[in-house]
Amino acid sequence: MHLALIDWLIIILYMVGCMAAGLWMRRYVRNVEDFAIAGRSMDLNLGIASLAATELGLVTVMYTAQLGFTHGFAGAIIGVLMAGAMYWVGATGFIIGPLRKAGVMTIPELFQKRFGVRVRWLAGLFVVLGGVLNMGIFLRLGGEFLVAATGMPVAWLEWVMTALLGMILLYTVLGGMLSVLVTDYIQFIVKGAGIVVTSLLVIYSLGWHNLVTGLWLCFEGTIAGTGQTLKAHPFNPFDSTSFGWGYLLWQLMFQVAAVTTWQTQISRVLSSRDEATARKMYRRTAFYFVGRFALPGLWGAAALVYFSQHGFTPELKGLSPLETSLRATPVYLGLLLPTGFIGLLLAAALAAEMSTDSGYLLIWATVIYNDLLMPCIKKPLSQPARLLITRGLVLGIGLFLLFYGLWYQMSGNAWDYLAVTGNIYLASVFTLLVAALYWRRATAAGAYAALILGAIGPITFLVVKMLALNASQLNVNLPAALSFRQSFLLHFHQLFPNAGSIPPAIAGASSFALIGMAAGSLLSRPPVGANLPATEARA
Amino acid sequence: MIELFVMFWTLVIFLSITWYGVLLFYVGVKGGKEIRLMAKHLTVTEQPPKED
Repeated sequence: MHLALIDWLIIILYMVGCMAAGLWMRRYVRNVEDFAIAGRSMDLNLGIASLAATELGLVTVMYTAQLGFTHGFAGAIIGVLMAGAMYWVGATGFIIGPLRKAGVMTIPELFQKRFGVRVRWLAGLFVVLGGVLNMGIFLRLGGEFLVAATGMPVAWLEWVMTALLGMILLYTVLGGMLSVLVTDYIQFIVKGAGIVVTSLLVIYSLGWHNLVTGLWLCFEGTIAGTGQTLKAHPFNPFDSTSFGWGYLLWQLMFQVAAVTTWQTQISRVLSSRDEATARKMYRRTAFYFVGRFALPGLWGAAALVYFSQHGFTPELKGLSPLETSLRATPVYLGLLLPTGFIGLLLAAALAAEMSTDSGYLLIWATVIYNDLLMPCIKKPLSQPARLLITRGLVLGIGLFLLFYGLWYQMSGNAWDYLAVTGNIYLASVFTLLVAALYWRRATAAGAYAALILGAIGPITFLVVKMLALNASQLNVNLPAALSFRQSFLLHFHQLFPNAGSIPPAIAGASSFALIGMAAGSLLSRPPVGANLPATEARA
Repeated sequence: MIELFVMFWTLVIFLSITWYGVLLFYVGVKGGKEIRLMAKHLTVTEQPPKED
């Protein structure tokens, strides 16, 4: 353990303050609207803090640092694209303006106004499927960061995850969005302080010039004795060794869809006081998303230069390249930060994990309650019963994540997994949103086609990747009598030997939601009397 | 060409650190006030649970 008494004090102070604030807010929860969207009483700065806190989790730090380790500074280009998308949406009000005006609690609820209750239900299913799968790796990655940074035994990872999730569940289940907002605020402050201090210490410790030239030497392979430790161009993201144009084009489209469709971000739009507040919140938060990639990316790049110059520590020796890229940054920070600062970094890391998990748990539970259960319940339920159901759903998702997060085997880098799972619903729901709000000719048939065609590509990608990984792990000396699983995997490998190397951009591009919406709508009868954009239809 | 990219990333990283520092204080102060107002608003509007 690298922790001193002062580090523990900082961590305990943060945890106690956060839990107390979260539990205090439960007294204001009277109904599901308070629980899910804080009674729509959120103002601008609290919105900025909450949005920024939720969208910068420990999993974010892990994958953006991983991008810095594997792509140098160029890894932060995704943050630049995301910030551009956020600012443009905030400036124009594209989707978020009419969505806030519609007065709905979730995105699928809007679809009911335009396409009917069944589309709402199906869209809710895809939203939850994509969202919960996406969240599946949060706990493991967060746990890995904490274990690597503190030097705790790896066997403790599951216990760390369980304890952390237990605390998050306690205040989220009781206080809902009100607790999430207030804890997000505290977490925003702690996390911001940790990120600024850590970034300055990283630059001070390595020296800016040494970092920049070191990155270039890692790419050139001329650092004495270590060879090429960086395979991608560290500064030019368009270079063929880095992301390249195709991937960045996919990312640009993905980011526009994400900032207008991702339910955890949209929930802040729906919780805001009015449309103007929501748009301002997007504009002011936009640049935060550059730092979300650039600063942990800086730590990852610094870790690469440090270990290339000094050699790997025992914790990193013998790991696969993928594991090394994930663990190098927390190990490096554990070595770099002095007493007191490591406590601040860990408090910030806990804040990052807690803010993201609590926000996501609440949002997906709200969608299940609002869009999957409520349309099926004919008899109106009392407010206490509704609250009980929503709280039970938060708890249920938490337990699911604990087990899914423990056994899921990730192949490829974390960002790709997150992007592909998010894509399960992003492409289709984004298409539905645009059509519902801006295209009068859109029909329910088009909506069904968009949802199904939009999800097929990413789901196939995930299944194929998992099969390819399992096939590659088959023992070379297989017994003569194969089990059904072994036989299936062997045939799969023989038929598709390169299945494991399909780039994620293909999964994104294989989403045919737009074609489905256009074809389905034009081939079906035009809607009569209901062919108005959702916001007008409501009025 | 590489120098341009290096300059760009240098600017991005140092601006990000500055922006995070500014937001930390600005949102820290303003957000705290908004929490107090929100709590007051929720207390004032407290009413019996309503059926939708």
